[in-house]
Amino acid sequence: MQYSQKVLDHFMKPHNVGEIKDADAVATEGSPACGDQVTVYLKINDKTKVIEDIKFKSYGCASNIATGSMITDMAMGKTLDEALAITWRDAMEELDGLPPTKAHCSVLAADTLHEAIKNYQIAHGHREVGNFSKETIISELKHVIYPQVGEDIVTLKMVKYVGFDDGVAIIDIEIPTFDKFRENVADEIREHLEKYPQIKDLQINM
Amino acid sequence: MEQKRIYLDNCVTTKPDPQIFDVMREYWENEYWFPANYFTAGEEINAKLQGFKSILGKTINAKADEIHFTRGGTSANNIAIKGLLMANSQKGTHIICSVVDYPDILTNYSFFEKSGFEVTYLEPDENGFVSPEKLKEAIRPDTILFSTTWVNHVVGTIQPVAEYSKILQEADHKIYLHVDAGQAYGKFPMDMEKVSIDTMSVSGHKIHGPQGVGFLYQKSKTLLAQVVHGVNRVDNLETGGINIGSLAGFAKAAEITFADLEANTKKIRDLSDYFLNRIMNEIPEVELNGAPGEGRACHNINISIDYIEGEAMGMMLDLQGITAATGSACASQGLKPSYVLMAMGKNHMQSHGSMKFTLSKYTKKEELDITVDKLKEIVVELRRRSPFYQEKK
Repeated sequence: MQYSQKVLDHFMKPHNVGEIKDADAVATEGSPACGDQVTVYLKINDKTKVIEDIKFKSYGCASNIATGSMITDMAMGKTLDEALAITWRDAMEELDGLPPTKAHCSVLAADTLHEAIKNYQIAHGHREVGNFSKETIISELKHVIYPQVGEDIVTLKMVKYVGFDDGVAIIDIEIPTFDKFRENVADEIREHLEKYPQIKDLQINM
Repeated sequence: MEQKRIYLDNCVTTKPDPQIFDVMREYWENEYWFPANYFTAGEEINAKLQGFKSILGKTINAKADEIHFTRGGTSANNIAIKGLLMANSQKGTHIICSVVDYPDILTNYSFFEKSGFEVTYLEPDENGFVSPEKLKEAIRPDTILFSTTWVNHVVGTIQPVAEYSKILQEADHKIYLHVDAGQAYGKFPMDMEKVSIDTMSVSGHKIHGPQGVGFLYQKSKTLLAQVVHGVNRVDNLETGGINIGSLAGFAKAAEITFADLEANTKKIRDLSDYFLNRIMNEIPEVELNGAPGEGRACHNINISIDYIEGEAMGMMLDLQGITAATGSACASQGLKPSYVLMAMGKNHMQSHGSMKFTLSKYTKKEELDITVDKLKEIVVELRRRSPFYQEKK
């Protein structure tokens, strides 16, 4: 079995599944094209900034469901800043690890949680909408996993060049031509960057 | 008491028929020799191998010397495709297959494409059916080979091999026909006298025979270049040592399969129909992938279940003792959805949410009932967790 017992437990009996009707913040990440999508709902105490309730819905594989269950468990009762500090690595560790090809599930779960919190903070004037720059692209690339080893492509030094000028983003990735995950990595990069209207033309060179 | 595992992945491999073991054991224990001339033991084995070839040949109405033992279906596909192309590349370098073919064909074609051959990949219709008309249109003066997968390995659709054969024979020059019969052999009658096929691959373990052996049918006078070099024990197509026990078991399994082919396949088809009917009647928003009714092989049921993902369904079934396959990217090695379903025009959700159940002669009605009952519960639970199902309500 490639999954840990903890992953299986959270997959078979996930915690916090559902919706919050009058949620204070919601975020959805992923898409059916990638085979997984997560929605996170938050109920936040306006004074203490504590997450008083959290629910999720998942379209995806066993590890997608398990990471949704784990990340919501970890965020429940935390302040927004504490919840923002939970990383995909933390969630993966709590689940006693994930197979390398499934690490992106943990990234998706953590990203969705963080996105929901940011949406709340922006709506309440606690956060500025960040300026878009080359650094935004690089920070997004840190969320693209190379499934062969289950690490992000920035940490793995697979990103050789990032350029952004006049709406054109150019990204050079070092990956062997015969690598079975080439298309997957390109798709993931596109998925992370296409939400930015600032990027008019995205060029991925491999 | 723990429930016995329900195995519904018979397109990958099948449970060996218990009747083959005694036959195999006899060879492994007492008649383990290699074929040779001038020695009694070697000649005896020679005669036995001829006997196996003749048994296997009879199952497809072919002559014994048209049957070559191989180390399985993939080996047979490699020997045939590489052998045909290397023997005929002076006559042309254009070859045809379809995008939904078995990986053995696609990877061999891709290898030759990189070496300078031109490939036309035919597109299937929404049922995975590759029309003979498309083949006709794709033929060029330099076409030398068309390869096809008789029964599609994902959706079970039966391709019109007899019609392909007719079209190729009507062409103004020789175009070879190679057929992968891995999923087809033992599922319906085949007659090499009636349908002209140049080479055809067959695998032993898909008809309840032993793993690691297969055969290549090579029509008389069809020339194949030698691609597996080495010591010649039986012939120069698959060189090297033989596995006499497994070959004996393969011949025995073929004999059993074809002794009562019609009754056996009818039983499997009735069970498949029953299984599909229960699913369609009891689980909402499910569709069948591939050709309906007689257009598909008797053992294959491939469905797409809306709003949920196949790896999760497969895992839940597996944890409850049921083995089945999915076309979801999350369950694949390269994290890609089933290329067959995508080529048939299915969307991502239909491909990710596809489940493939393949039956065998050992599948029992009670096992299918348990599977539908469990699947129903699983679908309800996973849809409860799915954001798409909620949106729909």
